[in-house]
Amino acid sequence: MNTRSAVCISSVALAASLLAVSSHAQNASRNEAAKAYAPAKPIPRTADGKPDLTGTWQAGGVSINGEPGAPPLHPLPPTRYRPPAREPIPYQDWVKAKQKTLTVLDDPTSKCLLPGVPRIVSMPMPLEIVQTPKEVVILYESFRAYRRIPINDKLEHPDDLTPTWMGDSVGRWEGDTFVVDVTGFNDKTWLAGLGSIHTDKLHVVERYHLNDDDTLSYTATVEDPGALTKPWVTGVVLRRPVDVRVEEYECIENNPDNDHIRKAMELQKAKNE
Amino acid sequence: MRFKLLVTLVAGLAALGTAPAWAHHSFAAEYDSNQLITLKGTISKVEWTNPHTYVYLDVKDASGKVTTWALEGYPPNTLKRTGFSRELLKIGDEITATAYKSKDGSNTGAGREFTFPDGSKKFLGPKGN
Repeated sequence: MNTRSAVCISSVALAASLLAVSSHAQNASRNEAAKAYAPAKPIPRTADGKPDLTGTWQAGGVSINGEPGAPPLHPLPPTRYRPPAREPIPYQDWVKAKQKTLTVLDDPTSKCLLPGVPRIVSMPMPLEIVQTPKEVVILYESFRAYRRIPINDKLEHPDDLTPTWMGDSVGRWEGDTFVVDVTGFNDKTWLAGLGSIHTDKLHVVERYHLNDDDTLSYTATVEDPGALTKPWVTGVVLRRPVDVRVEEYECIENNPDNDHIRKAMELQKAKNE
Repeated sequence: MRFKLLVTLVAGLAALGTAPAWAHHSFAAEYDSNQLITLKGTISKVEWTNPHTYVYLDVKDASGKVTTWALEGYPPNTLKRTGFSRELLKIGDEITATAYKSKDGSNTGAGREFTFPDGSKKFLGPKGN
């Protein structure tokens, strides 16, 4: 077995074992953490009575979670809200065949290209939501992306769309949940991990719900009749990072990684032959 | 063939729930998490850049020959937020660093724990995965 495969196999084995023990461990840690939950409090609202999503949010990463086994610089209280259960992406057979030809070099983000939706929400960097009665704007540190989300009760998109990396977003309030309909994607982004391609038939419905412990539940229902056999639901619980603001991230500035990866792959291939 | 199968497995397990250690590329494709090396050398150059920072260390071997290592780290904003400011990296300072070796055979590594002249320690980059 080569080293590369060994690393991959150990990752898969680790993931599988984590899945196996997760419910037990989660129950134990939940019981332990139960007392530390932040008390529920009324959610902040804007002048027009909508939940106020304004502020800086982050899904994960070392700057809010800390190093493995060490506390973060600014620990956040545990939250009782959980993201949707992890499910594999239900791909059609042609995608599974295509994935066998893809490597990390094909990942658009490795070339500093925009990650698309919903992948951008999982990036280990902050995003800022700016909310007005007519439009919600999300400014992402990662890949300097931004999204304008006009509020439109019929969720109507403009009729002159050309396919784009981040798609076209329109939103509306459904009770206290902000629902965003995203379409008009190109077929160049990945949905989540390695090889998670899609077609330009991609349609994403996002739900943003402010919780009573100052966390933000995010779920995305991903449909793509060109690549998926059924809709795929994913999501995260976003936190408010302490002392963090969205700053510049000019990804293309100094990016030699793909050259190193390509050379490593060539070396591995030569070893295998 | 085995690797190709794994691509599918890994993709199948991928979920949005876990933020990756690095935003823009795979760790395991570039660095060997089983080869954590220790380097003692002087800082000769710092690139405080995106998508990754690089710290260059001049490392002298027993015969006096100097080899320059490039160690990749978290992006500048992430380092700042974990308390690793640019000012900690002074040209000419002798430090000890651990790093995961690059798989491409070059003198490149994924920087991990830096020990500064005053004995304090900071992480330049993530634990290997």
